[in-house]
Amino acid sequence: MTGGSGTEGTPAPVTGTWVHAFEEDTPAAAVYRPEGRPLPPARRPRRRLEFRPDGTVTEHRPAPDDRLAERKGRWERRGPERIAVDFPGGHEAPLVMSVSRDDGDRLLVEN
Amino acid sequence: MTEYNPFPAPSRDLCGAMHVHRRLLNESMTYRAQRARIENRALQYETGRRASVRSGVVTIPVVVHVVHNPSTPAQNIGDAQIHSQIDVLNRDFRAANPDVSRVPDAWKPLVADIEVEFALATVDPHGAPTEGIVRAETDRTGFDSHDAVKAAASGGADPWPSDQYLNLWVCQLGEGLLGYAQFPGGPPQTDGVVILHSAFGTTGTAAAPYNGGRTATHEIGHWLDLFHIWGDDDGACSNDDRVADTPNQADSNVGKPAFPHVSCNNGPNGDMFMNYMDYVDDDSMFMFTRGQRERVNACLEGTRASFLVAHQAAPATPAAPAPETRPAEAQTPGYVAQDADVERLLHDTERLTREALTDIHDALGLVGHRFGG
Repeated sequence: MTGGSGTEGTPAPVTGTWVHAFEEDTPAAAVYRPEGRPLPPARRPRRRLEFRPDGTVTEHRPAPDDRLAERKGRWERRGPERIAVDFPGGHEAPLVMSVSRDDGDRLLVEN
Repeated sequence: MTEYNPFPAPSRDLCGAMHVHRRLLNESMTYRAQRARIENRALQYETGRRASVRSGVVTIPVVVHVVHNPSTPAQNIGDAQIHSQIDVLNRDFRAANPDVSRVPDAWKPLVADIEVEFALATVDPHGAPTEGIVRAETDRTGFDSHDAVKAAASGGADPWPSDQYLNLWVCQLGEGLLGYAQFPGGPPQTDGVVILHSAFGTTGTAAAPYNGGRTATHEIGHWLDLFHIWGDDDGACSNDDRVADTPNQADSNVGKPAFPHVSCNNGPNGDMFMNYMDYVDDDSMFMFTRGQRERVNACLEGTRASFLVAHQAAPATPAAPAPETRPAEAQTPGYVAQDADVERLLHDTERLTREALTDIHDALGLVGHRFGG
């Protein structure tokens, strides 16, 4: 995980794996934390997002049989702290996300 | 009824066109066709066009594969922990669990005895006596949900014949998973249920709040064709679990919810979050419904009928005759005419073809992707 505080004008790092800390969700956004951050065990499988430097992203999302099912997509920057993720065939608008720069280890997926 | 695909879009591999092609053929067509057939049958049971013919309790022979890394001795759970899990299953699937008394009054009439019990196998696939517990060492520190634990070649343990035994793999699971299942109709070589060792049973390494043995109850519910009670629609209220007597609810519940929790205009009683097929803590789930029993019956008299056949002959003997695939049909009053089956089959074939074409279209879109934002 390369998440960490950015400085003004330096894009906040996003590559690596982020894990859904749904206990911290707000009405406005789902909260993800870097992989490795201790999170309590949960029956609801935690969604994961793997961002790679080549612009690809893999989402591992809970499936009806409690596995984590994969779907692949692409991500791109929309600003120093903002990114967008698109999953082809998902028939959805791209997800808009922001990487927190105050503590540098939160990825917020906007609702 | 809203068309519902209970299975998300499978993963796509940008680098392997042949892999995509093979997967689409094998998984999308065959598996979807199987699932459509299973769903048709479940619908017939739900709507009363077909009635269950089984009588009495069926006992499922179970083999527990304890896959453990010797560097972490705790993974090699003890026999007592395994027996404690079987005890929980035999209470939960018979509505004999003491906490069933906590079901809200409004739903007490819906509580169902599923009439399924579980017993560690006493005869192995070769006909030899067994305790129904296999212990396999592994070099792996943990497993994910991609089924490596289900084969010795990938560091796990091979299943016993899945038409004669329920295979339960117990191991260290990564990614925070407590367990996962395989629905009926999937590949036999991976058929069964995987449980994290610390969410298995009620003693030993079992840890709160998942030390009530309910992870296995939930996953075996899937193995018997039960869906999540909220319909896996990410809170959309558009799909349900295909069981009429469970209220439609928006999303999963977690922890220990307070009754009532209303969503999807399902007041005044709200979500049936105490159902085993929600995501609440072990001490907060304690019921199956009559409608869920009908789905289980459709499964046991359909795709998993081999367990009923074995039950009527001799339990889990390797010399058992080849299982009948649809034993209930010839005996069931009101059996739907073959013409109707043909009509449904044609309808399903058309729908499956459309879905496969959509998958291919999406895969091509991924290969030649241009960012859509």
